[in-house]
Amino acid sequence: MMDAILNWCDNLLENDIWFYLITTVIKLVLMFAVILAFVVLSVWIERRVAGWIQDRPGPNRAGIPLTLFKRYGSKEKQPLKNVLHYFGIPETCWIAKLCTWLKLDRDIPTFGLMQPCLDGGKLFLKQENTPSYVRKIYFIIAPMLVLGPPMVAAAVVPFASSASTCWGDINMVVANIGIGPLWIFAISGLSVYGITMAGWSSNSKFPFLGGLRATAQLISYEVAMGLSIIPLLMMFGTLNMQDIVSNQAANGWTLLPLWGEGLSLQRWVMMVPMALSFIIFVTCVFAEANRTPFDMAECETDLVGGYHTEYSSMKFASFFMGEYAAMVIGSALVVTLFLGGWSIGFGADEALHAWCDWVAVICQFLMFIIKLLAFIFFFVWVRWTLPRFRWDQVMKLGWLVFLELAVANIFLTAAVLYFIK
Amino acid sequence: MSYIKIKRPKFSILDKVYVVELVKGLCITFKHLVLSLLGKTPAKKEFNGKGVGACMPFPEQRWDDRLPEYYRGAPTLVRGEDGRERCVSCQLCEFICPARAITVTPGEVSPDSGCQKQEKAPKEFEIDMLRCIYCGMCQEVCPEQAIFLSKEYLITMTDRKNAVRNKETLYRLGGTRKGLVNKWNQYK
Amino acid sequence: MFESAICQIIFYVFAALAALCAIGVVAFRNPVASAMNMALSFGFTAAILFGMGAQFLGIVQLIVYAGAILVLFLFVVMMLDVKAEEHSGLMPMVVGVVVASVFAGIVTHVALHLPGAQDGACPVITACENIDALAVTDEAKAEKPVISSTGFGGSLPQLDSKAANLAANPGMSPEAAAAATGYPDIKLLGKTLFSQYNIAFVILSFALLSGTVGAVALARKIRKD
Repeated sequence: MMDAILNWCDNLLENDIWFYLITTVIKLVLMFAVILAFVVLSVWIERRVAGWIQDRPGPNRAGIPLTLFKRYGSKEKQPLKNVLHYFGIPETCWIAKLCTWLKLDRDIPTFGLMQPCLDGGKLFLKQENTPSYVRKIYFIIAPMLVLGPPMVAAAVVPFASSASTCWGDINMVVANIGIGPLWIFAISGLSVYGITMAGWSSNSKFPFLGGLRATAQLISYEVAMGLSIIPLLMMFGTLNMQDIVSNQAANGWTLLPLWGEGLSLQRWVMMVPMALSFIIFVTCVFAEANRTPFDMAECETDLVGGYHTEYSSMKFASFFMGEYAAMVIGSALVVTLFLGGWSIGFGADEALHAWCDWVAVICQFLMFIIKLLAFIFFFVWVRWTLPRFRWDQVMKLGWLVFLELAVANIFLTAAVLYFIK
Repeated sequence: MSYIKIKRPKFSILDKVYVVELVKGLCITFKHLVLSLLGKTPAKKEFNGKGVGACMPFPEQRWDDRLPEYYRGAPTLVRGEDGRERCVSCQLCEFICPARAITVTPGEVSPDSGCQKQEKAPKEFEIDMLRCIYCGMCQEVCPEQAIFLSKEYLITMTDRKNAVRNKETLYRLGGTRKGLVNKWNQYK
Repeated sequence: MFESAICQIIFYVFAALAALCAIGVVAFRNPVASAMNMALSFGFTAAILFGMGAQFLGIVQLIVYAGAILVLFLFVVMMLDVKAEEHSGLMPMVVGVVVASVFAGIVTHVALHLPGAQDGACPVITACENIDALAVTDEAKAEKPVISSTGFGGSLPQLDSKAANLAANPGMSPEAAAAATGYPDIKLLGKTLFSQYNIAFVILSFALLSGTVGAVALARKIRKD
């Protein structure tokens, strides 16, 4: 029986198409799970780091109270004692002491990690209020258009190198297409429709202004963003994200060329345009994700709440999650292009691959997650450091500074590539 | 028209490039982060906080003994030293209340209260704590010094009905106020 | 056979949807609805291009048309708060019908005169088979066609990634080209654009640049002070 099932699986996987379909579905599920988990996690990181920066603890409650387990005691009595009694363990035993030391006599501590989950639950259960004067269809479509694109854009981000199985190689990226960064630009550029729609369909003043601001800002910064990575593409000579990361794993990260061919003079001189590129790109990612120095679209002081003023309950939550998803994708893109993506660096990738493929893949995946977390922390850190820019400053920065700098950077890179061999 | 020309600060090129100043700002916030994680936030001792940062974890540690004299908590009704209800149900507080939290039902003063000059006292006095905004207008307007804002700030209820405080509760919370208001007694 | 069938189904589904949305652009009275339909139509067109393996063209369609131009359209429509148009007489209808039928006639004419269209074959495949007859320059004649009509036998062309990879990377070995996944359309496009059509490309760029400068000059308010 068992053999028959295994045989059947084997036969199924030997077929190229089925192998491709099954592995893709697994990768898709993994990718979605990671992104959604990171959306929740980044909300927590945001609030914790904001707290620490402002000398507060941030959300540190929302543990799982032991009083939930009423079977072992009422609310007044300490549940731990009853639990211990139930199992016949004396209170002076080391287990009891350990539990007390871990504060398990009150709550199961989660360091506030439960907070975003509970907030999500609350938003689900809240009353949904759709004002009577909105344009209904667009009002409902808009939140989907904001949350959807970042999720789709994640498909081209590689999260590990490839691993070989007995049925064929698995490339650890959902869609290994030759237009990586362009795909992300195109798809995340579509989220501007959601914001514009939200602003317009709310049929009220401030959301509309917020929507218009968002549109203008996103279009302006998309230009500089697209131009800023051209030097990078000139250096790597490919648009395939997996190839870019493999190149970085072998020859040094874009901003850390310390091994492989990265030790050449050309690469070290290239650090200048690359650093410039990095600064422009990161700033544009901030602007694209509507994060604080650039959160013109929802700036409370002039626009009440911006484009989502009229939204409530889960529709509002979609906007909220969309912002964080855009932040996660932006971080993933920066990490992939500039900080080596999944590569562990210093030749460790090759060594691990020579030892065991799957260990290498898992280590690389963890490395990717760590880099992503670090960059999300950077996002939050900047948010709680900088005040919001003024609207004319934002436009000036986009069109008069970054656009010119990015174009000049392209010429600089070309000169470096041509003259320094 | 005369006008004052504001002197704008002159920025050097380094300031205008912004990146250096940005890094400085990031360093400052990072310092705060590290200090609060290490539990060495400057104002920590003063606050007597135990957790991260200079914060009192609320239900365990409280701020109560440091509340200032002028703290505006829940409004209460008070009795005079002589045990007299100070309120004469003039309904000025009800009139002034911006949130319309107060409802006064005027009534006769009971004959056995021993206060002949005072004619009226509230039959019922209700404050809806869901409406109250703790502005202190009632205290300000009261000609009889009968309504005061207490320092009570933990106002929670499990039911909307429980939010309405009646006369009995308000007098219980207010207690007796020191000092005589010699308006209705024999001294006047 | 299986892949080919999926390709065909996807192509026809997306083509039908794109056509439907294109009709919606004209049919809807509300300008915002029209603009959204247009965006959807662009999206489906991009999907068709993706399905054919021309990923770069598809993504450019999305970035340029759906991501930038149409957003600006929408921006203007919303800013001016254009109201839904009302029916106004017979005259515009007549003009519309005449213009539409002229365009339909042109499209039909072109479609009927595409290579191989009379025999019911795919025009692209026919063109590739007779590429020598179509080539404008000798250089193009020497190049091998990058699309093969063999293999899947469907009526839609299938891209030959091995030949294309060889054409895009001159130094590549045939084994590496066969192993390379994906169709190097960006490289081919870049090569063609910046070698064969370089002068035309530069002239066009200058024309666009002068257009931009002119627009800025016209739109700029000249201050008195």
